Amino acid sequence: MLNTEPQPSTLLGLHSPAQRALEKMGIPGMDFANFTGQLGVTPKTTIDAQGTLKLHHFTPMCDEVYRVPVLIVTSLVNQPYILDLVPGQSMVEFLLKKGFDVYMIEWGRPRKEHRNLSLEDHVLDRLPACVNKVLSHSGESQLSIIGYCVGGLLAVLWAAIDAAMRGKVSAGPLKNLVCMATPVNSDGLESLKTWMGPDFDEEALLAEHGNVPAEWVQNALRSLRPFGKVAGAANLLNQADQEAIVRSNLRMGKWETDNIPFPGGVFRQMVNDFLRDNCLINGRWKIGAYSADLAAIRVPLLHLLAQDDHITPYASSRDLVQRVSSSDREEVMIKGGHVGLVAGRGAQMRMWPALEAWLAQRS
Amino acid sequence: MEQPNWMSLSPMHLWRDWIAKNEAQWSETVSRMLKDEHISKVLNRQLGEMQLMHRQFSELAQASLAVANLPSRSDFEALDERMGRLEDGLARLSAAVSDLSQALAASPSFKAPTSLKRPLRTRKASQAAMNTGG
Repeated sequence: MLNTEPQPSTLLGLHSPAQRALEKMGIPGMDFANFTGQLGVTPKTTIDAQGTLKLHHFTPMCDEVYRVPVLIVTSLVNQPYILDLVPGQSMVEFLLKKGFDVYMIEWGRPRKEHRNLSLEDHVLDRLPACVNKVLSHSGESQLSIIGYCVGGLLAVLWAAIDAAMRGKVSAGPLKNLVCMATPVNSDGLESLKTWMGPDFDEEALLAEHGNVPAEWVQNALRSLRPFGKVAGAANLLNQADQEAIVRSNLRMGKWETDNIPFPGGVFRQMVNDFLRDNCLINGRWKIGAYSADLAAIRVPLLHLLAQDDHITPYASSRDLVQRVSSSDREEVMIKGGHVGLVAGRGAQMRMWPALEAWLAQRS
Repeated sequence: MEQPNWMSLSPMHLWRDWIAKNEAQWSETVSRMLKDEHISKVLNRQLGEMQLMHRQFSELAQASLAVANLPSRSDFEALDERMGRLEDGLARLSAAVSDLSQALAASPSFKAPTSLKRPLRTRKASQAAMNTGG
């Protein structure tokens, strides 16, 4: 319910009839500039930093934690705080309270000097370095990885290559793999595949900008649902009297406009190898000298999907569970969209508990 | 008896509701059009033209702003890059301090403060289920 207690007007200079009228309608003066509050505030320590990459360790919230630490691998094109919005709307906080020892990779904003960063740098260098750091920091020999969207794809590529390198001889550092809305089959990404087909000149874009500009990424994602913004705004206005919903919506909106540039080298490989040639599904994706084969993955796998995901449609993600060789594998479909899957009210009520129940048994 | 929500009967509210309910269908229709290869060709050509125009406009704007002694977008981008490098440096310092704290905490002669004490890694799922009553 809207707070109807008289509040001093905090809107600077608006001691006007308009403000008085608003307050009479029950809309108290608020500092709209700070309406969302600070985001990503769960206490953490940066335990490693390489270039723009930061590896964070969240301060445990329980006296007793599960033995197996959890490393969250976030997407390359968005800020990671979608998984840690505010207290009460934070997947990270939820996991901490349930007794998990949580780490997170923040890839950072690539600058012009990082335009040649490639998938090899991420999958063969940076991600394994973070895995090793988590293991040495926690004192454990294995960890669970949770990957969201493109972060999940990076995790899958590393898991497949690491497993293939080790063969069946030795257990690797990966104990459990959780993917959230992770695309693996570009035939299911029809829109992106068409737009970035043979007529799309990615080299011209990269020659002009180095890295793919954040606004470009944002526009491409918005084009997947052309009227989504309008409908979202209309829906929000219809719920303008429900403060909690408005705040939650504005937080996610703030994150949605906070894209980061896409490293040029990675973008080039994603367009050519993933979107155009669908190399992962066709079994031809070579990252450096290594082949990424989903069948090499044998660890327990959970894939969490959103029913109304227009960014990672089911057709692009369903092959993950089907192609791995894990005997313990599960796919769970949750009501909601791509972002609501991890941060909305549905996430709090459905996805987070499902994730916790699955991971707790295997940690 | 619960009061009806009169606001939900307002024309504006109903109109916004209609938009929200039909948006998925409209988006699907436009998306289907955008997936057409011919339209994709046209869009990509337009993208190339827009990039060229953007570059020309940027050069013109840069020159004009320089004459007016005002910063341009590239000045702000350069500033952003410097700040990014500073942030990266701070992150490396933070990581180094964290490593030092860890090393000190592991030292037998050092009495670690509470903030550096690690939780026990002995939690089990069945115990958690008991704790939550589930």
